[in-house]
Amino acid sequence: MRKRLNRIVKAASVTAFAFALCASDLSVQTAFAGQNVPYETYTYDYYEDIKYTPAAYIPDGALTGAKIGCGDFASPQDLNTDEEGNVYIADTGNSRVVMLDSSMNLVKIIDSFDNNGTEDHFSSPQGVYKSSNGNLYIADSGRNRVVELDGDGRLVQIIENPQSDVLAEGYVFTPLKVAVDYADRVYVIAQNQFEGIMAFDEAGDFIGFTGTINVQISPWEIFWRRFSTREQRARQQLFIPTEFTGMEIDEDGFVYATNIDSEGEQSVRRLNPSGEDVIQKATTLSGDLTWRLSGTYSGASRIVDVVVRNQGIYSILDSSRGRIFTYDHEGNLLYIFGGLGSQEGTFTIPVAIDTIGERVLVLDSSKNLIDMFAPTRYGSLINQAVGLRYDGDEVQAVECWKEVLKLDSNFELAYTGIGKSYLAAGDNKEAMRCFKIGNNKQYYSIAWKRYRNEILKDNLNYILTVVIILAVLLVVWKKGLKKTVLKRRRERRLSHV
Amino acid sequence: MFKENLKYAFYTITHPMDGFYEIRHRGRGSVPLAVLFVLLFGICFSANRQYAGFVVNFVNPMAINSFAEVLSVFVLFLLFCVGNWSITCLMNGEGRFKDIVTVTGYAMLPMIFTFIIGIILSRFVVADEEAFYYILLAFGIVWFALLVITGIMTVHNFTVGKTLITMILTFVAMLIIIFLATLLYSLVGQVISFFVSIYNELMLRV
Repeated sequence: MRKRLNRIVKAASVTAFAFALCASDLSVQTAFAGQNVPYETYTYDYYEDIKYTPAAYIPDGALTGAKIGCGDFASPQDLNTDEEGNVYIADTGNSRVVMLDSSMNLVKIIDSFDNNGTEDHFSSPQGVYKSSNGNLYIADSGRNRVVELDGDGRLVQIIENPQSDVLAEGYVFTPLKVAVDYADRVYVIAQNQFEGIMAFDEAGDFIGFTGTINVQISPWEIFWRRFSTREQRARQQLFIPTEFTGMEIDEDGFVYATNIDSEGEQSVRRLNPSGEDVIQKATTLSGDLTWRLSGTYSGASRIVDVVVRNQGIYSILDSSRGRIFTYDHEGNLLYIFGGLGSQEGTFTIPVAIDTIGERVLVLDSSKNLIDMFAPTRYGSLINQAVGLRYDGDEVQAVECWKEVLKLDSNFELAYTGIGKSYLAAGDNKEAMRCFKIGNNKQYYSIAWKRYRNEILKDNLNYILTVVIILAVLLVVWKKGLKKTVLKRRRERRLSHV
Repeated sequence: MFKENLKYAFYTITHPMDGFYEIRHRGRGSVPLAVLFVLLFGICFSANRQYAGFVVNFVNPMAINSFAEVLSVFVLFLLFCVGNWSITCLMNGEGRFKDIVTVTGYAMLPMIFTFIIGIILSRFVVADEEAFYYILLAFGIVWFALLVITGIMTVHNFTVGKTLITMILTFVAMLIIIFLATLLYSLVGQVISFFVSIYNELMLRV
């Protein structure tokens, strides 16, 4: 009877616990999503565990072509903003480029241009870029050319049919994405071009490839290839580098380019003018750190586009799970938001990302609309703190970090930021505490070294005294020991006799 | 008696050839003491994961389970002893199971000390001085390996080459034992679930 009662109590408590868990889960959800966002916002901690955070960005409307007043988009492929906040959309299916101003009102539709007296049209343009010199570059994929128009829509030049020894005979140039730096060098991501990004000079002549990704072959693959026959080898997967997917030029004129990395190691690169990758990595730069191996939502993140934001912050867009990952200039992951779905603020096939000020725009080529996101207090505080640190204003940054911690006490980067200010102020002990919570071994080590020296300096007298006393004791003890040992030996010898 | 055994254990780790010889042929080893050393090493190992200084500690504190760690040290120890015993029996080794247990247990003694000293040291080192800590740990592990090899060699009266081959075979034997154990585990599980389903059928249908 008693046993049975016990069991009932146990069962009841288990159920109660389960309910409590569900209830707490719900309350947590609503607490996080005070704004009812249709996706989770999270980040990864030092141990690569997911830590859910308050929403950093919330959906702020979605714009269809009809709403803008230019007729619905048809699988648009690219979106670009210029310095004034004007938005350019490569409306691929309608073979046109749509220009909006910063408050998302229609400015003009570019679907034709005057090509030396004859009216010329685009055919499935997949990329668009407004350069800092005011000219608009359109990757006119269907006509195998890049068209450069000036601010009034007059033709400046057409880049087509690049000639070079490094290009294969009969190579067909199909540009997908285009970007232009301050020196008017044109960077083009072309279809089936695995050598890297194609660079053209300001006259439209092909210079060469930049940012070539080297093929990584694991020892295991080499081992297997050694044992396979010629026929087998021919049927195996070719070892070709991955293609680039999206581009952006930062304020220093460096190219940020994304590529698809099925290993999830590095999907974004920052290429200097000589084509070397100079991006800073804290861990991996490829979106999610963990993922399912099979089934829906599986595999590493497919990074399709990048946007360089203010003060070294950049965001990359993942099309496999519809997430946006934001990093600071050191490669620390700041926040992750977004998801796939049919609600407003979620995507079906996200293809391009850009920003106006702090607002994020994402182009969805399946829903044919632009999703807009606005930062919450949490998101803009992080942006602000990272920006202040980038500018070297650590003191101001600490105030922001403290505010961030009020909203999310798990944010490791904030502790490191605060720790740095303690370190600079000479409070090494407090700095150590912060770096430990922030899991920053490098700075903890610096603080600990200083604190250790402090302790040693303060207690030098005591330490030296103890050492001297110990030394004296040792000498005395040794002498005493010698005597007793000799005595014992003598005794033993006597006893033997 | 305990004090004498303990003293002899310390003698053994510094004079392994003579020490292990006498353990085999003059019964100077103690199995309980060897087991105690394994337990102590398990505790030190777990303590190292938990208490090693922040600079050298990469273990997620949420993932530490002292009981499981001590237990896994014990399981590995037992697996090694059983594996080695089964192999050396076939290879004309002279050692008894008791001797193998004693040798392996005593060999862990240096590691107990290096781990304890390591924990203390690790709490003082900064980034550039990590090497001292790692060297200390490596020193203990190398000492342990040498002790196990000499110990196994001595108690079985093997040559060096034969001992090394035995070690590789022991490793294989350990894998086989693990394989059989998992097989047994899943089979027993199926048998149990079979009877449980019969019971359920009877209770719910008859």
